[in-house]
Amino acid sequence: MSPLQQYLILAVILFFIGAWGVLARRNIIMVIMCVELMFNAINVALVAFSNYSTTGAGRGEVFVFVIFALAAAEAAIGLAIAIAMYRLKQNLSVDDLDELRG
Amino acid sequence: MLLIPLLPLVSFVITGLFGKRYFKEKSHYLSVAAVAVSWALSMYVLVQVMGGERLNWQVYQWIAAGSFKVDIGILVDPLTAVMLLVVSTVGFMVHVYSIGYMKDDDGYYRFFAYLNLFMFSMFMLVLANNYLLLYVFWEAVGLCSYLLISFWFPKKSAANAGTKAFLVNRVGDFGFGLGIMLIFLTVGTLSYTGVFSSVATIGTGTITAICLLLFMGAMGKSAQFPLHVWLPDAMEGPTPVSSLIHAATMVNAGVYMVARSSPIFSQSQTAMLVVALVGSFTAIFAASIGLVQNDIKKVLAYSTISQLGYMFTALGVGAWTAGMFHLVAHGFFKGLLFLGSGSVIHAMSGEQDMRKMGGLKNKTKITYWTFVVGALAISGFPGLAGFFSKDSVLAGTFHKGYWYLWAVGLIAAFMTAFYMFRLIFMTFHGEPRDEKAYAHAHESPRSMTIPLIVLAVPSALIGLVLGLPPEDGYIDHLLHPVFENVLGEVHHFGLLDGGLMTLSALIGIGGIMMAWLFYVKRPDLPAKAGARAGFLYRAALNKYWIDEIYFALVINPVQALGRGLWRGVDQLAIDGFVNNAARFVRGIGNALRPSQSGGVQSYLMTMFLGLLVLTISYWLLTM
Amino acid sequence: MTEFNQLSFLIISAFTIASALCVVLFKNLIYSALSMIGSFLGVAGIYILLHAELVAAAQVLIYVGAISVLVIFAIMLTGHRTGDINVFFHKQAWIAAPVCAVAAAALIAVMATAEFNSSSNSQNPSDENIATMLFNEYSFPFELVSLVLLVAVIGAVLLAKKEKN
Repeated sequence: MSPLQQYLILAVILFFIGAWGVLARRNIIMVIMCVELMFNAINVALVAFSNYSTTGAGRGEVFVFVIFALAAAEAAIGLAIAIAMYRLKQNLSVDDLDELRG
Repeated sequence: MLLIPLLPLVSFVITGLFGKRYFKEKSHYLSVAAVAVSWALSMYVLVQVMGGERLNWQVYQWIAAGSFKVDIGILVDPLTAVMLLVVSTVGFMVHVYSIGYMKDDDGYYRFFAYLNLFMFSMFMLVLANNYLLLYVFWEAVGLCSYLLISFWFPKKSAANAGTKAFLVNRVGDFGFGLGIMLIFLTVGTLSYTGVFSSVATIGTGTITAICLLLFMGAMGKSAQFPLHVWLPDAMEGPTPVSSLIHAATMVNAGVYMVARSSPIFSQSQTAMLVVALVGSFTAIFAASIGLVQNDIKKVLAYSTISQLGYMFTALGVGAWTAGMFHLVAHGFFKGLLFLGSGSVIHAMSGEQDMRKMGGLKNKTKITYWTFVVGALAISGFPGLAGFFSKDSVLAGTFHKGYWYLWAVGLIAAFMTAFYMFRLIFMTFHGEPRDEKAYAHAHESPRSMTIPLIVLAVPSALIGLVLGLPPEDGYIDHLLHPVFENVLGEVHHFGLLDGGLMTLSALIGIGGIMMAWLFYVKRPDLPAKAGARAGFLYRAALNKYWIDEIYFALVINPVQALGRGLWRGVDQLAIDGFVNNAARFVRGIGNALRPSQSGGVQSYLMTMFLGLLVLTISYWLLTM
Repeated sequence: MTEFNQLSFLIISAFTIASALCVVLFKNLIYSALSMIGSFLGVAGIYILLHAELVAAAQVLIYVGAISVLVIFAIMLTGHRTGDINVFFHKQAWIAAPVCAVAAAALIAVMATAEFNSSSNSQNPSDENIATMLFNEYSFPFELVSLVLLVAVIGAVLLAKKEKN
């Protein structure tokens, strides 16, 4: 198994742990944390690819920088929403966000 | 030429639309005037035709669909002229009569409007020059008949009678329509001239089929057995209606149609025989029922059916001119008789049962004498119209070799004379059976008696005018060109005919005498005879239970079928299907709704699962 | 350093995966947050193994330094609940676990068997190269990202503001 594959397998495992967390936890902030976990996994995969590629050297890192910024922005917004929701409903359970119920 | 039918049409429209508000009691002015002008024009046409004029005029091309071409066209030949004579004269008289009869009726304007519509339709029917136009106006006169029978529609029996007329006619018209379609299929055209010139090219089987189908229509319209059941019930309509439509004009449409189609009918021996057989059977059948009826109008109704049977018998044996002669004569005297009965009913303030009448001859002199003239005419009393016309029919059957039909005709003639004079004796002679009504009885107003007198004249004289010398008279000459190709050999008056004539005269007088015996001299005889005849008497009284048979065989099964279908198919299957479809959809909705929980994570879960399934199946498929 | 140190890779990745699992499994939010910081540090270690020091530094600065602090602030500003397991985990967690496991297994199978067109040596782009690319080729996304950050800041402030009564 080449090193590249090992890094990728690590990334996959991290990603799906985060995915499970998103689907399974009931607290909004928990969900946001797991989303950050997924971002990290992606970043790992990107850097691994960029490191072992013949033509794309360096581009992976650039992409990762952009993702850093975007992930940070998204975390900020998400947490602001969480705080607003806490003010409104006095709890952070995702199940209470069911206004779209059919 | 076009004015003849169009004037009544215009009058119908105007009277019908405005009569309620503007005309009211004056409604009759426009309608009677219209018909009067039509009558004058018809007389003019008659004179022209007698002078040898003919007309076959295409007014307007109505349908041109590929090879199917139909025009609105007018054909005038002696046959048409003769029909116009009857229709316009009797129609005119009935219009005048109705002024008096229908006075104070709520639907005064409506009556005249319908009458005018009828005149329009009847005129067009007679003037049409192709079968499709004939059929259209055939239905139109049926419609008017239906409207007028149920004129007093709040009365349930009147409405039912109208429906019955409509339905029974429909049966006949169905056959008629099929016949017309068959004509078109075999010949390719529907105009009279076109069809008659190609008659020789049609095979015998087809011709017989066509004739029988056409005759079915005639059976319905002219009330022959077994489609006669509507005519007695049609007496629910006002008496002028009975006179005009059901005695003198509409019921003659069937006879007219068969006469007009003589080139086709004469090609099929079978069809002619059927026509003659049905005609004579109906003649004697209806006469036997008329013998024992107690309602004055019903007697006349069965008499009409019987006389129409005579006409069809004549047509069926090939005595075309005899049949038409009888049509003309019958139109006048039956129209007269009905109007007379209306006058009697008016005098008796609405009573129609003869058992309550009696002794009216002193109180309603004009009615009485005109009625006697009409009755003598129909009984074949020597010298009056019916004598000549009926005799020519009987002679025709005899000479063409149909002995049994001749004998049947004679018996029916005897019965005719009997029941007519039974009617007269019960109504006008003897002691009044209902004192109160008798006290109120009075002669009818002039508007009613004048038409009676006017119609009595041709009833008496038209035989002399048209029928002499017998079988070679004016009417034979007039109609000869129409029936040129189908008359066969023309028989001239001989000694044998003199004997036959005397025989039928004697039969007629014999009937009158017997009636006198039964109802004047020895009034106890009818009851005794009725008891002796037992079953026959009851059968005749109940019209041989034909209506009951119809109910049992046709109406009840159909109604049961309808009910069954309603419950089984409509309610169960169709409603069930629709309702259950809706329930099914709602059920699915209810089942699926919980998935819309509003929780984001469940949505995510579903999405994720879906993506997974898709990917794996794609992977598997492309393995 | 072009060779690949298997042992250090295994240790660091084990640490990272364990921390990630702790993030998801702990009921206490603060514990989860701390585990998250641990996993971020582990990932930074991975970056260093991949010879991407710049990225590792940025990771520690941004994630550990900013985002984690943000998360902990949020946790502090809101309460947390106690209760049985259903308060913390969905009912559907039981389904989600095998599903994710299956998906992970599938992907791993792909990764393990795919043929990557890669060089066996690791390329080590120098920081200079990265910077050049960032400011020349990818300057447009760079500027856009700054715009996004601006919007995010404004949005977050607006969202979290208290209503003035």
